[in-house]
Amino acid sequence: MTSGLVSAAYLIAGILFTLSISGLSKQESSKRGNFYGMLGMLIAIIAVFLQIQTSSDSPNLNIGYIAPLIICGSVIGLYFASSVAMTGMPSMVAIFNSLVGASATLVSFSSFFHNYQGTFGENDIIHKIEILLGIFIGSVTFSGSIIAFGKLRGSISGEPLLLPGRHLLNLALLIAIAFLGFIFLSNGFDEVQVLVLFTGLSLVIGIFLVLAIGGADMPVVVSLLNCYSGWASAAAGFMLKNDLLIITGALVGSSGAILTYIMCKAMNRKLSNVVFGGFGNSSGSSPSGGGEVVGTITEITAEEVAEDLKEAKEVMIVPGYGMAVAQAQHIIKDITETLRAKEVNVRFAIHPVAGRLPGHMNVLLADANVPYDIVFEMDEINDELPEVDVLLVVGANDIVNPSALEDSSSPIAGMPVIKAWNARSVVALKRSMASGYSGVENPLYFKDNTDMLFGDAKDTLSAVFAKLG
Amino acid sequence: MIICIPEESEPSEKRIAISPENVAAFAKLGYAVRVEAGAGESANFPDSIYESAGATIVSDREEIWSQTDLLLKIDPPTMEEATMIREGATLISFAYPARNEDLLKVLGERKINFLGMDCVPRISRAQSMDALSSMANVAGYRAVVEAAHQFGRFFTGQITAAGKVPPAKILVIGAGVAGLAAIGAARNMGAVVRAFDTRPAVKDEVKSLGGEFLELDFEEDGAGSGGYAKVMSKEFIEAEMKLFAEQAEDVDVIITTAMIPGKKSPVLITEDMVKSMKSGSVIVDLAAEGGGNCELTEPGESKVVHGVNILGYTDLPSRLPTQSSRLYGNNLVKLVNLLGKADEFSINQEDDVIRGALVLDEGILSWPPPKVEVSQQPTDPKKESQPVSEEKEAGGFSIFSPGLMLALLSALLLTLGWKGDNEFLDQLTVLVLSCFVGYMVVWNVTPALHTPLMSVTNAISGIIIIGGLVFSTGPEPWADPKGILAGVAILFATINIFGGFFVSHRMLRMFRKK
Repeated sequence: MTSGLVSAAYLIAGILFTLSISGLSKQESSKRGNFYGMLGMLIAIIAVFLQIQTSSDSPNLNIGYIAPLIICGSVIGLYFASSVAMTGMPSMVAIFNSLVGASATLVSFSSFFHNYQGTFGENDIIHKIEILLGIFIGSVTFSGSIIAFGKLRGSISGEPLLLPGRHLLNLALLIAIAFLGFIFLSNGFDEVQVLVLFTGLSLVIGIFLVLAIGGADMPVVVSLLNCYSGWASAAAGFMLKNDLLIITGALVGSSGAILTYIMCKAMNRKLSNVVFGGFGNSSGSSPSGGGEVVGTITEITAEEVAEDLKEAKEVMIVPGYGMAVAQAQHIIKDITETLRAKEVNVRFAIHPVAGRLPGHMNVLLADANVPYDIVFEMDEINDELPEVDVLLVVGANDIVNPSALEDSSSPIAGMPVIKAWNARSVVALKRSMASGYSGVENPLYFKDNTDMLFGDAKDTLSAVFAKLG
Repeated sequence: MIICIPEESEPSEKRIAISPENVAAFAKLGYAVRVEAGAGESANFPDSIYESAGATIVSDREEIWSQTDLLLKIDPPTMEEATMIREGATLISFAYPARNEDLLKVLGERKINFLGMDCVPRISRAQSMDALSSMANVAGYRAVVEAAHQFGRFFTGQITAAGKVPPAKILVIGAGVAGLAAIGAARNMGAVVRAFDTRPAVKDEVKSLGGEFLELDFEEDGAGSGGYAKVMSKEFIEAEMKLFAEQAEDVDVIITTAMIPGKKSPVLITEDMVKSMKSGSVIVDLAAEGGGNCELTEPGESKVVHGVNILGYTDLPSRLPTQSSRLYGNNLVKLVNLLGKADEFSINQEDDVIRGALVLDEGILSWPPPKVEVSQQPTDPKKESQPVSEEKEAGGFSIFSPGLMLALLSALLLTLGWKGDNEFLDQLTVLVLSCFVGYMVVWNVTPALHTPLMSVTNAISGIIIIGGLVFSTGPEPWADPKGILAGVAILFATINIFGGFFVSHRMLRMFRKK
């Protein structure tokens, strides 16, 4: 009877998890969605608890052991969740991914020790494959996420580390891992040692993979690791014969995969290109290729920007990672409110890969109290740009580069971009004339309707705000 | 280097070459700016504003002309002025080289570098220096203002207690810069605006300003080079004249802007058409300088013929001196910018824009410029940028080609089924179906919530806690490696569950409507 109940509870939890994700389809239903997720988790944990306690052929749970661990984990989790600044969300997600990876690896080991009585039976080959998969995916997720975390925090350089012959090195590692796996499956060796070595090499390959990826490709990497963490859970589900783990793993895995796909699409790059080839490395030509830019740049002062904004009817703001670096979102919100009070229609245009995490800009703006119904996606807004009187580009570069559409020899050719140049006038806020992550010159800055406002975005915007009053 | 701004000597000229705002821009390039006393007076820029912007006011006219490196002006200098200018200096102003041969001779003797603002090539890169366009813009606006001044009625339609007022009907001939400015201004005053141009390409621009574009039942594209329209065929002109005759009976105001550079303006409005117009109607002829588009136009004058006001003013930009000076000054800043900063000032003839504008090179006539350099670009300014081909649209996972994947998967599943591991197949069913569900659900997530999506999936990934719990059983789990590892997994998973849900909650709470 209990086993039927437990299965039903798992099903309910699975449905609730699905609902929690579908709740995110709209801002209005998202909070309810999150609640469904919590409920599902509670039901699942109660169910597994009952399952173990009522099962006749296994010993009972050791409450005295797990209770302190759960309390400890919840305190740590809540502490970090409540103290993290929204600019730190990318590293937060990276660390969560790594924890899932670590847990999957550890559980796989536990499962191995559980069944390992000096030797395995002949028929356990599927189980052993599942253990190997769980450990491999879990370890890669873990070490890769740790490196991603370091890069996002800035404790590891954001520059891609491109070792000579790294493709060969990775290939050699993969072969070694496959070989160890094969030894593990055939009997007659010290299986613990083999498994530890297998884990070690998996960790190394995770490190290498992420080290070779540059800072602005992080949205892709974090999504990809998110996807892996899902498959790690699913592998653990196969190993433990637990359907709920499989369902959850599949949900998370497909979520990560779709996010990865969206990010790649938004950069018009193949996943293999992001993971295996840094910019300028794959093309062979010099990174500054993409045609000579003719024209001159014109500078503008904060005062003039304020004047332009006051006279405008339609204002569009295009934020990029530079906004997060300069922490300019709060002053942007002040400017937005002042202008909206003057009946100026201020809106935001978000490129899918702006920032270091999918949807990062939306969260930062929401954190600064910018209402979400004036924040639009690139595809929603691109056609309306000719109506815009003043368009502010805050710390963004490649995502507003016209050569992506006009110059087929450009390294970023074909990447969908926000067509900022269609606005009547453009003000680009930038620290210097340095080119963006891709190393491509941006002809937008040389257009007649573009003016440059140099300096730290927060300082210059504060000056603009002071003049708006 | 010293920049000097003299007062314009023509009495009717109210403009000045630069506005006070431009002084700072020149200072930034390293130039010292001197302005003749009272030069900006008629454009409402008193000396004091120039002074506070950083310019020096010089009252001696002689000094302005003789102690200068770069002289900025609007109209070409008079003969007398030409003899005053320092030998070897650079002069920028309108030049009209075709009709100023004598002047060029005098300036040539004094080894002057002369850049003509009207000679700046009309290519897209030089748009910001195109003074002809900025002045045409002002003229177009002013033409409407002059017409409204003469016209005895409202431009806009109204329904008042005293009766209904119909809107004025305006015909604009030629939708170049001046024509478009006139259309915009007239529309803003509430008039019904119709426009005609031989170039069908401007139709969209006319429409976007709210004008109605009149068309002939006749196919001929009038787009010529350099931004002007070309001369049309005889049949076309006949059809065109028929249209104007029809319109003349109907409209209240006609604004004509059809100019052909260096030639007499074409006559588009005949005396008969003027006769057919309602009494009190207005014609503003922006082409008066070249003889006028209306048969009866008298350049520089306004007169009433057959009850119709015909305005042939040739000084419309000067009638809006503050605006014109600002725009002209901005054009000058861009051109001087191209010549370089004060310490590296040079007339670089490699540059198409400078070469085109250069009328005298150290006194030697260099106008007209060699044809290739100027006329090649305007015919197709966008040629160098080829549209990106569709092939470059990538972004998929090439290794996941659907056919191959499906074949592999089916083969694998059949093998498993043949082996007869039912339990594994059941689990696989769950996995595959969940993937489909996940795929459907996740695509529906709004991109704005992708970050919360990640944190929620992080939280539910904490379900791996089940794995930890399963192995934390028995009396002393901490004594055995399996239990220890499981314990750590429980700790990690709990961090994820609590941290993930809580941070998602925090984020979702922040999203609010206006």
